[in-house]
Amino acid sequence: MKIGNTKARKFFNLLLFSLVLLVFCSQASGQDEEDGGSIIFTKPVKAVIFEHSIHTEQGLECDSCHDGMFEMEAGVAEQNDDFTMASLYEGNYCGGCHDGDTAFASNTRCTACHIGVKGYERLTGGTKDSGGGH
Amino acid sequence: MKISDFEKLKNEGTEKLPSEERRRFLRFGLAVTGVFLGGSVLSLTSARNASGVQEKKSAAGKFPYKPHYTMVLRQNRCIDCERCMEACVRTNHVPSYGYRTTIMEQNRAAGDDRDPLFMPVLCNHCNRPPCVRVCPTTATYKDKETGIVMMDYKRCIGCKTCMAACPYNARYFNEETRAVDKCNFCFDTRLSKGKKLTACAEACPADVRIFGELTDENSEAYQLIHKPDRKVWVLRPETGAMPNVFYIND
Ligand code: HEC
Ligand code: HEC
Ligand code: HEC
Repeated sequence: MKIGNTKARKFFNLLLFSLVLLVFCSQASGQDEEDGGSIIFTKPVKAVIFEHSIHTEQGLECDSCHDGMFEMEAGVAEQNDDFTMASLYEGNYCGGCHDGDTAFASNTRCTACHIGVKGYERLTGGTKDSGGGH
Repeated sequence: MKISDFEKLKNEGTEKLPSEERRRFLRFGLAVTGVFLGGSVLSLTSARNASGVQEKKSAAGKFPYKPHYTMVLRQNRCIDCERCMEACVRTNHVPSYGYRTTIMEQNRAAGDDRDPLFMPVLCNHCNRPPCVRVCPTTATYKDKETGIVMMDYKRCIGCKTCMAACPYNARYFNEETRAVDKCNFCFDTRLSKGKKLTACAEACPADVRIFGELTDENSEAYQLIHKPDRKVWVLRPETGAMPNVFYIND
């Protein structure tokens, strides 16, 4: 593109500026910056998804989870031996809310939380073709 | 009908099933417990008191077998962790390009990827196996004792006709052995060595794969599919293959 007169150049600069602004803004306001974003657990089973956005949109405060239940660091809960369904059913971790009262119970809708190996590979860009889906 | 269309169907109950069809299934010792729209997905369970009928010679050969192995899949508990597939590969030395069992995924509605359905698939060890019927060398056969659809690798000429005939896409060609391979309920690797479960059933952490005996009233598998009012279904019943792998929810 050849830019002839100053008017056009001014317009082009403005366009460029707004583009940069747009990119900057969308990054700054991205969920990943404010809360923990999307977290994928892979232990003990591949894979469970936790999305901050779904939960904060429900009006939940950071404290409702980050005051003893979960650390503000991905991967901590996964280190614990009791990060299991049995423990969730007893009201620990996600089970603190996913008990059929505050939110849907942990012994229902398995695949709301469990995205499986296929979901994991889709989200992380893995290429493994596990076959079968003809 | 494609497997992916199944879940969209509503159970209509047995009333709409043509009586002729109903009789056909009862002949094979199966009680019809439900039918989906259009009659394409039949829900079958083995009938308790049909053994007298079963002893007669039928197109299905000897039925039921002793033991008559079955697998019941509690579909909505499957979370696609794929530990079953890993265990199968380890136990039966399945190469990366093939599978004896796999997990299929389907969305509940087009474009909606929330709460997907995961469906484990394996050889259905049919009572009337289309693969056995088409094999020109009898390399694949129905075991007279257990009813397991087996492979005699030495007789296999690799024509792949069985692969095309299988309604469940449950066979693959093994490049190393130059023979078709498939699930045999871990007969050589586990059952014949006294183990009670297949590798996949043992590995499943979510109690999805219940391996057992269709004729043993004490077997969990038997009890799961004989629970009154429970919807039980098989895949692709319209092929008339009479599968021994059953699907339920919960
Ligand atoms: C419904 C529960 C819940 C709520 C509400 C919540 N979080 Fe989290 N958060 C989690 C969980 C679960 C983890 C992962 C912890 C783990 O892996 O052990 C996490 C992790 C994090 C992390 C670490 C992310 C990383 O990649 O290491 C940050 C930062 C975070 N949260 C910030 C916040 C903030 C800020 C808020 C409030 C706006 C918030 N969270 C609200 C459950 C919640
Ligand atoms: C502080 C309470 C709380 C905790 C802790 C919590 N959730 Fe939730 N979650 C909710 C609420 C409330 C909803 C929305 C209501 C509903 O869907 O029942 C929700 C919704 C969800 C959904 C969306 C389901 C849909 O409708 O698509 C998923 C998935 C989910 N939670 C996963 C998790 C996981 C995984 C954990 C643990 C890592 C967790 N949640 C911990 C309160 C919580
Ligand atoms: C509210 C979210 C949620 C729901 C609903 C849920 N799970 Fe889980 N599940 C988890 C989390 C979190 C873990 C631990 C992290 C991991 O293994 O990736 C887990 C782990 C597991 C594990 C491995 C650990 C263990 O307990 O043996 C199995 C198996 C499992 N879930 C099965 C199920 C089944 C079956 C259902 C439905 C009946 C289900 N889950 C429903 C969140 C959930």
